[in-house]
Amino acid sequence: MNRPRNTPTSLKSPPSVGGPVLDAQLHLLDRQVIDVDGLPVTTVDDIELEGVEADLPISLGARAPVISALLTGPVLGTRIFGGRPPSSRLIRLPWHDVSAVDVTVRLGVRSESLSASWVERWVRDKIIRRIPGGKHDPD
Amino acid sequence: MKRLLGVALGILTAIGGFVDIGDLVTNAVVGSRFGLSLIWVVGVGVVGICLFANMSGRVAAVSGRATFEVIRERLGPRAGLANLGASFFINLMTVTAEIGGIALALQLVTSIHHLLWIPVGAFAVWLVIWRVRFKIMENVAGLLGLCLVVFGVALFLLQPDWGQLAGQAMAPAVPQTESAAVYWFYAIALFGAAMTPYEVFFFSSGAVEEGWKVKDLVQSRINVLAGFPLGGLLSVAIAGCAAVVLLPAGIEVTSLSQIVLPVAEAGGKLALALALIGILAATFGAALETTLSSGYTLAQFFGWSWGKFRRPVRAARFHLSMIICLVVAIGVLATGADPILITEYSVVFSAVALPLTYLPILIVANDPQYMGKHVNSRAVNLAANVYLVIILVASLAAIPLLIITGAGA
Amino acid sequence: MILTDVLGSRVLNSEGDLLGRVADARFVLDQPPGQLLAGARLQGLIVSPHSAGSFMGYERNDVTRPWPIAQILKWWHRGSFLVLWEDIEIMGPETVRLREGFTAYHPGLQGAGPGQAPQR
Repeated sequence: MNRPRNTPTSLKSPPSVGGPVLDAQLHLLDRQVIDVDGLPVTTVDDIELEGVEADLPISLGARAPVISALLTGPVLGTRIFGGRPPSSRLIRLPWHDVSAVDVTVRLGVRSESLSASWVERWVRDKIIRRIPGGKHDPD
Repeated sequence: MKRLLGVALGILTAIGGFVDIGDLVTNAVVGSRFGLSLIWVVGVGVVGICLFANMSGRVAAVSGRATFEVIRERLGPRAGLANLGASFFINLMTVTAEIGGIALALQLVTSIHHLLWIPVGAFAVWLVIWRVRFKIMENVAGLLGLCLVVFGVALFLLQPDWGQLAGQAMAPAVPQTESAAVYWFYAIALFGAAMTPYEVFFFSSGAVEEGWKVKDLVQSRINVLAGFPLGGLLSVAIAGCAAVVLLPAGIEVTSLSQIVLPVAEAGGKLALALALIGILAATFGAALETTLSSGYTLAQFFGWSWGKFRRPVRAARFHLSMIICLVVAIGVLATGADPILITEYSVVFSAVALPLTYLPILIVANDPQYMGKHVNSRAVNLAANVYLVIILVASLAAIPLLIITGAGA
Repeated sequence: MILTDVLGSRVLNSEGDLLGRVADARFVLDQPPGQLLAGARLQGLIVSPHSAGSFMGYERNDVTRPWPIAQILKWWHRGSFLVLWEDIEIMGPETVRLREGFTAYHPGLQGAGPGQAPQR
């Protein structure tokens, strides 16, 4: 790759905005997702954007894309090893379920209702629940 | 009064919980071969683990984030996974070594072959993790581990030539019988034994388990700053006993019975019994901590629900992964692999992997986004940078020295 | 599209000259609330001329510790800039092309970011 030589030298101050600013890498990706009861659900493995298509020209004055969902599941593997899972295999945590973003991403719903927690539920119902004592608080 | 009792209990469990199979074996081996001429490394390691545990405990208390959540978030999935792979592998090796240690200790007590004790030990570890509350688990193992003080008593009873021991410790030199490469190899092993990464996974996750808040930081600092150095003294006593009895007799440490030989010689059956209880408690406690750590690291990387403060059904994958780890450990030991040898390798690899966990914690402990006003002070950062250099050097030198010396043969 | 597809893409100006790589994407929470939190609008992309990775964002905040790690990483990302959505012509997993006469903005974040440490 050629070393870039056309980097702009003078930078303007960014326009002021009407809300909190989040940088995806710094504030969203790979953060722990916690449900409304404080139970960890998963991590933010990727982010789905709505309102832009890859490699299609963007018309002047088009509305900016928004985050439609946080993604988890097989998408983690492809982020590490490359490739891309089919859209049908993406596990989505819709953005409208997100209630806050700080050092964790908080949801306003219970994890029980989410497709992101199906593995956890499967392990719980098929294995852990069947071992004596699994349902009780430790003594 | 209650608060004072809490502090005392915290310090005592930190002392008793400091020593594990890695410290036991490495210190005894080093004492039997180098006298006290490597004991300065224990000092370096203890200061290092105090610094590291303090930082990760503070991150956990202030932000509520345990070590591997931080590693994943800062390093991203790719570097994070490489880190998880290395840390998890070494941790599993340590689980195996600790369970082997439990079995060897039980063999010494009962004369029943240790292979038969391995499934029993592993099952007991699982049962405690499954059913016993975190606080009780930590306190019982830590307090019983205090029996190891008998190594210190034994050292006095042996009436060694204190001047000679002090001379070895104060003016360290490579003994004529050993090469410089072997000396430095064991220096790294001793460093790795004192500063094993699992201690930090466990410490920071434990802070979340016990729900530490900012106001608990003072007590945690006292526990660490008083408990770990005193625990380090236990390590020194183990090395000292080996230096006084095993070194002159030319006995090389290859089994647990040789490690306790000086105690038996000095204090007879009662002392031996105490030493065995101490070793059993120390290895059992460490087996719990390492098994939990393997669950912690996996769960925190992938964002699963975790923690003993939850019922097992509320942290299903966390518990399942620990069961699998214990089964793997049993499988490895069932092949007849020597637990002492596994231990010796595990402490060296611990030193190799140390920068992987140390650096992200150092960075996050300075990040106001996580820490608010509780970021590292300048003094802590200065010390942390000195240790960053030491840890990097030890990590880079470990594998070459392992190869050159044939694992210290 | 998926966000990490665009992270690391080559960034070209309208003449096809290479400017750097996408280091990050910036969002503003100023859209009508779906339910609980405001919608997150893509404000623009952070372009780094030297590295595609983004580790700590030292070039975007005023954190200077731990010395020297913060300084080294800040230097590594020197010359980073923000381009707004309005100046992006096409966005894809290989390349991002900017419109003619795009404006480069300072990438700095105010303060330490949105997630102040919760005081538990």
